[in-house]
Amino acid sequence: MLTKKLIDSIEANARQLSREIKMKLLLHQSTRSYQDIDEKTLYDWIYDVCSRFSFWLDEDREKGEVQQHYKNVGKERFRQGFELQEVISALYLTKRRLWEFIAASREADSALNLNQIIEVSFLLVRFFDHAVLHVTEGYEEMLHEFGYEAPLNNPERLAEAIAAKEKRQKEFLEEPKLPTFSYTKGMIRLGYYRQV
Amino acid sequence: MLVRLIEMIENNAASMAKELKGKLLSDPNISSYRTLADQALYQDIFEVYSRLGHWLLGDTEKGEVKTHYSSIGRQRFEEGFPLHEIIQALVATKRHIWDTILEKGIIGTTRELDSAVDFITYLNRFFDMAIYYTTRGYYREVQLQKAS
Repeated sequence: MLTKKLIDSIEANARQLSREIKMKLLLHQSTRSYQDIDEKTLYDWIYDVCSRFSFWLDEDREKGEVQQHYKNVGKERFRQGFELQEVISALYLTKRRLWEFIAASREADSALNLNQIIEVSFLLVRFFDHAVLHVTEGYEEMLHEFGYEAPLNNPERLAEAIAAKEKRQKEFLEEPKLPTFSYTKGMIRLGYYRQV
Repeated sequence: MLVRLIEMIENNAASMAKELKGKLLSDPNISSYRTLADQALYQDIFEVYSRLGHWLLGDTEKGEVKTHYSSIGRQRFEEGFPLHEIIQALVATKRHIWDTILEKGIIGTTRELDSAVDFITYLNRFFDMAIYYTTRGYYREVQLQKAS
């Protein structure tokens, strides 16, 4: 019940929170490209998260709307010329402000209240973890279209790399070879039995 | 109490690193990690868990986080990893800490719960920075490659 109350409280304060987050993004050194975005547009992007917070936190939407929406955000920010780390930082700054808002409602002497705050924190963290992951996937898809793809995305290259690693580890784990000694003109020579 | 939570993770770093290594190696969504030497992967995870107090509370300016994770981003780029897999592995590393705390059942009293809220704040701040700098290190290499 209190969990819902906390989430409702974010939605009820969505305008104020969105204004604060917008200012953070405009001033923070890690999100400089956001200064090039029209302020109203930026406000709307943030407001969409804050005002429909319960919609975004719904676990059933993780694989559907959340995934598709943030993949599209990643693609769109790529086209707009944002660096990926700026987009990720914007998401984290948003999360941080929302977490501050939630944590501020804590009453240190109430176990129930603290339990609910921790529960909301799970939802919040899980949502932003997914958002960051899918933004990255969308951004990578655009990078691929423009000529860059991580080599290990290719199944053949991946299989080769795994086989090479397994071979290295097998050699490393093989039993140590016993040294042999032989005598040649006053010198002791160390050699190894060839293992068949 | 916050320190107790951190120490609990540090004291269990070896077994936790071993568990997470197994999870990462068997997760089909992050297959690139199967190309890393088992010992190197273990060591990377152990480095986080065994020095969690330093990462969360000691490195206040996050200078070491910046250096260390930018370097990891560059290294994984060189190794050919897709970035989303690296992010997934870092998120799994964070979740494993919290799962372990819940599993050990050491949060019950109001005082413990109060410290847990602080712990969540520090833990997320650290991993947010780690993911941010890893991405920055990785992405700069992508740009360099595109430019060359």
